[in-house]
Amino acid sequence: MTIGLLIAVTMTLIVASTPILIAALGELVVERAGVLNLGVEGMMLIGAVTGFITMFTTGNPWLAVLVAAIAGLLSSLIFGFLTLSLSANQTATGLALTIFGTGFSALAGQSYSAMPVSLFRSVFPAELTTHPYLRVLFGYSPLVYFSLIMVVVVWWFLKRTRGGLILRAVGENDLSAHSIGYPVRAIRYGAIAFGGAMAGIAGACFPLLLTPQWAEGMTAGRGWIAVALVVFASWRPFRLLAGAYLFGLVMTMELYAKAGGGPLTAIPSELWAAMPYLATIAVLVLISIRRDASTNAPACLGKPFLPSN
Amino acid sequence: MNCDTPFRLELTGITKRFPGVLANDSVSFGVKPGEIHALLGENGAGKSTLVKMIYGIMQPDAGEIRWNGEPVTITNPNAARRLGIGMVFQHFSLFEALSVLENIALGIDSKVPSRELRARISAIMDEYGLTLDPNRTVETLSVGERQRIEIVRALLLEPKLLIMDEPTSVLTPQEVEQLFGVLRQLAAQGCSILYISHKLHEIQALCDTATILRAGKLVHTCDPRQETSRSMAEKMIGAGLRDLTRSRDRALGEPRLVVSKLSTVQADHFDVPVRHVSFAVRAGEIFGIAGVAGNGQNALLEALSGETPASEAGAVAVDGKPMGTADVSARRSKGLSAVPEERNGHAAVGDFTLADNAVLTARDRIDMVTLGLIGRDKAEAFAGKVIETFGVKAQGPGAIAGSLSGGNLQKFVMGREILQRPSVLVVSQPTWGVDAGAAAAIHQALVDLAQAGSAIVIISQDLDELLALCDTMAVINGGRLSRAMPVAEVDVEEVGLLMGGIHGETEASDAVPA
Amino acid sequence: MPFRLEKRPAPSRLMLYATPFGALALTMIAGALVFSLIGYDGLAAVQQIFITPLTSTFRWQDLAVKASPLIIIGVGLAVAYRANVWNIGAEGQYIVGGLTGTWVALATHGMTGIWILPAMVLAGMAGGMAYAAIPAFFKTRFNVNEILTSLMLTYASVQLVYYVVRGPWKDPMGMGFPQTRVFSEAARLPNMIPGTIVHWGVPVALLVALVVWFVMSRSVFGYRIKVVGAAPKAARYAGFSTNATIWLALLVSGGLAGLAGVLEVAGPFQRMVPGFPTNYGFTAIIVAFLARLHPIGVIFAAIVLAVTFVGGDLAQTTTGLPSAASGIFQAMLLFFLLAGDILVRYRVRRVSSQPAAGVRAAAEAQP
Repeated sequence: MTIGLLIAVTMTLIVASTPILIAALGELVVERAGVLNLGVEGMMLIGAVTGFITMFTTGNPWLAVLVAAIAGLLSSLIFGFLTLSLSANQTATGLALTIFGTGFSALAGQSYSAMPVSLFRSVFPAELTTHPYLRVLFGYSPLVYFSLIMVVVVWWFLKRTRGGLILRAVGENDLSAHSIGYPVRAIRYGAIAFGGAMAGIAGACFPLLLTPQWAEGMTAGRGWIAVALVVFASWRPFRLLAGAYLFGLVMTMELYAKAGGGPLTAIPSELWAAMPYLATIAVLVLISIRRDASTNAPACLGKPFLPSN
Repeated sequence: MNCDTPFRLELTGITKRFPGVLANDSVSFGVKPGEIHALLGENGAGKSTLVKMIYGIMQPDAGEIRWNGEPVTITNPNAARRLGIGMVFQHFSLFEALSVLENIALGIDSKVPSRELRARISAIMDEYGLTLDPNRTVETLSVGERQRIEIVRALLLEPKLLIMDEPTSVLTPQEVEQLFGVLRQLAAQGCSILYISHKLHEIQALCDTATILRAGKLVHTCDPRQETSRSMAEKMIGAGLRDLTRSRDRALGEPRLVVSKLSTVQADHFDVPVRHVSFAVRAGEIFGIAGVAGNGQNALLEALSGETPASEAGAVAVDGKPMGTADVSARRSKGLSAVPEERNGHAAVGDFTLADNAVLTARDRIDMVTLGLIGRDKAEAFAGKVIETFGVKAQGPGAIAGSLSGGNLQKFVMGREILQRPSVLVVSQPTWGVDAGAAAAIHQALVDLAQAGSAIVIISQDLDELLALCDTMAVINGGRLSRAMPVAEVDVEEVGLLMGGIHGETEASDAVPA
Repeated sequence: MPFRLEKRPAPSRLMLYATPFGALALTMIAGALVFSLIGYDGLAAVQQIFITPLTSTFRWQDLAVKASPLIIIGVGLAVAYRANVWNIGAEGQYIVGGLTGTWVALATHGMTGIWILPAMVLAGMAGGMAYAAIPAFFKTRFNVNEILTSLMLTYASVQLVYYVVRGPWKDPMGMGFPQTRVFSEAARLPNMIPGTIVHWGVPVALLVALVVWFVMSRSVFGYRIKVVGAAPKAARYAGFSTNATIWLALLVSGGLAGLAGVLEVAGPFQRMVPGFPTNYGFTAIIVAFLARLHPIGVIFAAIVLAVTFVGGDLAQTTTGLPSAASGIFQAMLLFFLLAGDILVRYRVRRVSSQPAAGVRAAAEAQP
């Protein structure tokens, strides 16, 4: 393999992984607070359509990302209200949010299908972004750097800050945290809102980073893969990074296969398209075989918070 | 102590109402500096509710709390801690997956650098003779060690009032003595202690004053050293105590349950498996298994009930028939019944009616099923019979199990098993969290069942209960069972050592490699 | 706050069955408001989506045909969810059921015989069961979350449809269209009432709901499913294996989804096409919840959802409301239903009101 091809593959892989990584980082924080939000896919679609429309109308990618983050955040608050304030079942509410996001995005984006926008490109000078070697460092959209910075930020927050300790404590034992005097609901609202904003940004990656247009259901289950990745990463940010790039590799191979990449075409394109989903199942099974999957799971994950007063 | 000393904490007319329950009805009393003040009452008398209001977890509906003479409103636990009120919870407010240090850091309100926090923790541990490794994860600690975290956490705040909610229910007698030493030292330094318990001898050993609650009302304030256990118990329970009726020296029959070299595998991270457990229970015998929580009691109960079958058929035998590999249903049909510790969610389904809960274990022995279909009439009739025979306070077989009080649900569960006339009944914590009236009824039912010829195993953390009921007892620690001792010859000191893991001579013969 | 939530001693059965109606009413009101706000005639939209489909006998046929797969899948999901087994991949099991049925139809192409349809039905159910067996195996053997596996398999099954209609099963006479040939007469589900589109899948759906209702409410099997779902530890204590119940729940729901798939492909479609995945499997999730996991309730919930499908199509042609609108209505319905759940376990009390006279200081301090 030539160095040029290696660089090209690396770059495709990193870009393809970015939305999954961002969404999964958000979900990781939510789950560490003890909440299972299965609405990631729906929030991503909402982020994708609002990000796309903003980009289409203003041409400003920064604004598009911001709007997508706000839209994702607002939609996550529906989930927060139902599960935290009304103690609704988290699994069912997450599914409802995904159904809602699918419907909302289809409605909002229906008059925009197949209209082109431009991608959110690197902000570095052209000498760096087109340099045959240095582009592997500088040739990315700000969203890619954002995802990497957020890996460190989330790790640092959870591991090194008092806020992170409190958030983990709430996910570990909500009733104890409550009896010591921590505002469990408020902390969980905060985590859910962060997860929503991250899912919104992750959704905006699809029109801004991957395919510069709106298509119904364009996130194609990547939100669910993000949820699976959190399990795969045992709720640890750096393992999440590794997992996301592993998926990036699978998706890059699919792209090369479609483009007629030599031996990869021997496998039907439909099988390549199914590969990320099958790979998700494979990694979930492997991680469960290797050790007890529940070892590192936050103890209160998915359970309703029902204080006695 | 000078009677004129002003109260540090004074409650006046505290009232708290929950749907259908008046948890506290105009409760008034005071605690002086340096006083160890007992709050005494049965389960459900309103003790926990009262202290939750003092610690700011709940707000009173009416009444006043004064702190050093000033009226205060304690809106949350942070406010309580700022006043100087610390609390050690009955069900610890700890985080299993976090370290000791992180747990302590969470309990203090300001951010303290971990180096400084470590120094302060070790200073406190030195002062009170406590030992703890700050880097250990809580899930690896024993119950006594966990309580020490709570105590250190409370002491770091230099409290003026320390609330201890049923602190000894999970400790060995020796650990209890150690705790009392710490509490006396604190009181001597001027810290007030509010000590919640229903164990009378402890209160007599430790406390200066006792306030007795019954059904939410303050019934008496007294000096526990001037009272007898019986007089306090009667004030606590309200009526004259009823004694168990049993014939002490009845003849025991043939062994009905024989357990030999029973071992289980660790099911998950939190499970304590049992290792090489052997004992036999004869017809008419009540066999007690004492021990501190988390020493393999759950694994033992599930291995006997059949929820986790053993690998050797001979590990469990009922009336001579090997049943070690049989599943729950097969064991039940042969007359081996079990009642686990957790009522709601294990022994019964909280969302189901009592009739549906009768189907849970009685469907085969009471013949409720024909051709795979459940006979509802039969289930209702049987549930009705249990309700009637055992005086369960419920609206009938259609009542939802979760709406019953703990004592009534326990009576129903015990009654459901006893009316199936089991040859062997294994029960865990039969009266945990149950009011005295229901506890007495359950104890009587167990004695009657034994007298009718069944073999009974009681697994309990309540040593008093075992000493009162059993003919024979043994101690479980770390999944191993001590030798069986006739209750008449039991030395409480030795039992305490066994509960704490000092095995003595039985260890060597027991430790056969698998 | 002038109101306060108070925990009920036992869940309210009245509220359990009243809240779905409340949710439906709130969905109509909120829907009218929302669609008015974004510039449509909201009232007309609600009328088109919820009322008009009920007003003509012709559309009743349409409703029956659309409701029957929802009933069959929804009943299966109701069983699974009762056992707390979260099969989210009914769409995939429906698709695979359709594919295995198609395989029989293509293998018997040109043949006649009344055994062909039953064989297809059996193949469809077996296909759905086999596809649901994958999450069951991973769940029981390795404790892998069934939500994720069943859902991922759905995405994969869509690709499988694309593959077979473009590749091995492509109609040689199809002028390049990616679809199979039309099934022979013997492999097509006949119409029940001549001159209508109502096929035999409709009575089958009703029969399935009745049978499952009887089994769930009367048999040890139904009891077992409910105990495992409500209290897994109590189920073990009662002698019911959790793993066996997970298998049963997934096989029943997968088999029924497969049945729905084969009836769809043999009935309305009569061939396998790329557009075969029509989200019935996902909509059936809403159906199961709206029905409160009650098999008879599923019939009515499925009709409600079928109304929104038919009404959505109507609204698209008459008021220009986009087809995605019915998806929004469905999601709102689910949101309101979940929000209403709190009324089942709690009651709303005015804080100022005095407690009832007979409050006793019960021995049980409500913590």
